[in-house]
Amino acid sequence: MPIPSIIAEQLVYRYGSLLAVDQISFQVASGEIFGFLGPNGAGKSTTVKMLTGQLRPQAGQITILGIDVARHPKRMQARIGVCFELTNLYETMSGAENLHLFARLFGVRSFDADALLRRVGLDGRGKDKVEGYSKGMKQRLMIARALVNQPDVLFLDEPTEGLDPTSAQAIRHVIREEQMRGATIFLTTHDMHEADLLCDRVAFLDRGTIVALDTPHTLKQQYGQRMVYVEVLAPDGTLQRREIMLDRADTPAEVAALLQGEQVVTLHSAEATLEDIFIRITGRGLAS
Amino acid sequence: MSLYRVGVLLYRELVQGPKNIIFIFAVVVPLVLSFVLALLFGTLFSGKPRLGIVDEGSSQLSQSAAAMTSIRLTIFDTQVGLEAATRRGAIDMGVVVPADFDAQLAAGQPTTIIAYVWGESLLKDRALLGTALVAWTRQIAGQELPVTLTTTMLGDTVALPWQDRLLPLLILMSVVFGAMMLPASSLVSEKQHRTLTALAITPATTADVYLAKGLLGVGLSTVMALVVLALNGALNERTGLVAGVLLLGAIFSAELGIVMGTLVKDVNSLFATIKAIGLLLYAPALIALFPDIPQWIARIFPTYYLVQPVIEIVQHNARLADIAGLLGVLLALIAVTGAILALLARRNYRLGVV
Repeated sequence: MPIPSIIAEQLVYRYGSLLAVDQISFQVASGEIFGFLGPNGAGKSTTVKMLTGQLRPQAGQITILGIDVARHPKRMQARIGVCFELTNLYETMSGAENLHLFARLFGVRSFDADALLRRVGLDGRGKDKVEGYSKGMKQRLMIARALVNQPDVLFLDEPTEGLDPTSAQAIRHVIREEQMRGATIFLTTHDMHEADLLCDRVAFLDRGTIVALDTPHTLKQQYGQRMVYVEVLAPDGTLQRREIMLDRADTPAEVAALLQGEQVVTLHSAEATLEDIFIRITGRGLAS
Repeated sequence: MSLYRVGVLLYRELVQGPKNIIFIFAVVVPLVLSFVLALLFGTLFSGKPRLGIVDEGSSQLSQSAAAMTSIRLTIFDTQVGLEAATRRGAIDMGVVVPADFDAQLAAGQPTTIIAYVWGESLLKDRALLGTALVAWTRQIAGQELPVTLTTTMLGDTVALPWQDRLLPLLILMSVVFGAMMLPASSLVSEKQHRTLTALAITPATTADVYLAKGLLGVGLSTVMALVVLALNGALNERTGLVAGVLLLGAIFSAELGIVMGTLVKDVNSLFATIKAIGLLLYAPALIALFPDIPQWIARIFPTYYLVQPVIEIVQHNARLADIAGLLGVLLALIAVTGAILALLARRNYRLGVV
């Protein structure tokens, strides 16, 4: 594993009697896209707040880019970018003014707002006030704002939630570009499909603890059940659905028998989704 | 803390500020109030004739003038300063008393005093000051008046002019409203729109953000208070001292505003809080409105130490040494409020709230 950009060790955070984060530890390698998945209340936001220096852990230690976050939060924050789930732009300012403000705060000397706006598909809209932007445009501007300082680590919280497919695709494209530039991406999402598409590794968080952490492929192999879904035409003319588990000793014979004995209309295989695996591990869904 | 980042944030506040209703209020309310009072009472200082003296010796005339409570006396160091003050209407009449004035009178020799009169001064003020000058001169020369005038005071003999009573309110309105409400409302608005969270993960520190917001309130309210005092002809030759005191008062008010902005969650809660504590903030001014209330009660309220030094300077021509005690308390209040603010910032970081 390359040198980690993020090292979290034994993090604990408690709100009164509620243990929000319970001794979690993980590392994120430089240049990796790391997915942080879990239902509401699992402790994702608290963990991200601690990682980004907004909240001091009650126990444990965080090192980002070799910087002790508790001791030097501002030094660390100068090298990260954060895109929040909820819009938090200056609505009465234009898109370009928002970017310029943050570029100045990050001490970026030569900053080209137009180029950044073009990257996120907002070219020609930089002078418009943010209050007139659609949700997708605001989200893209948030991504652009997180990139003003060319961060070494990028924290993205539900970056494509509620967006139209075009906006979501544009944001995924930028995320991949940033990875190619060498940035480490910490992606918090409910969207299992997105995590599967983008992440090199994912961590499942449940009730403040990490219950699984690996590549999506390995998790699927370890916990998932590959299936074959078959639709057959019954003698009475109705469509009936059959499910056959793959990876069992008698699977070939079962499939052969079906093909020979039934009138097969459709047949396709499917591997387990990350959501299936999450449910299997935790006993509950991500939406809960 | 970075002055560059404070500057960046302050620039944003300045550009966006005038769109804020509080900003408009902070500018408009003291001016409107000032003009309304001027319409009702003339200038705030028209209640007492204002005399300026340059005493080149140590004349008894100055002492007689100082002892007369029905005029407002200002001592000037130079004739140039006296003339300038008269020209701009800061005093109704300015006189230059020569060094040998008392000795010449005592010797029965003729002598001259130069008097400047403000062209727009009220006739009654000119007449009163002229009469008083003649009376003091007779007194120094040892001449008895040929007539004994027996006077009987009728009506409320201890009543203060309304202009004097309203001045603390006007000062508090100018300083406290802008300096406190601007940073408070800006901070709360940023919390509501979550932009404060976005700032929190930049290299800008909490101190940078607080300072930028505070500076706007402090700057605007200090300027507005000076403008209001100038509009009312209240500025004397101690304008620098007045400005310094107003600046300290604005700093204290801005700190209170930031504390409030840190504690409350939304604009509605902010206005509810202001309503709740408004009486405490303006209590010294309200007490000054009613002289029958024991005036020592005003000392209980922190804003007394903001307004009283200003009153002492503009109404009684106090020097720095005269108001040192009041300023000491004001500085202590600034230090305590600053410490509370630092504790709140630390608590917010620990709790992950902005």
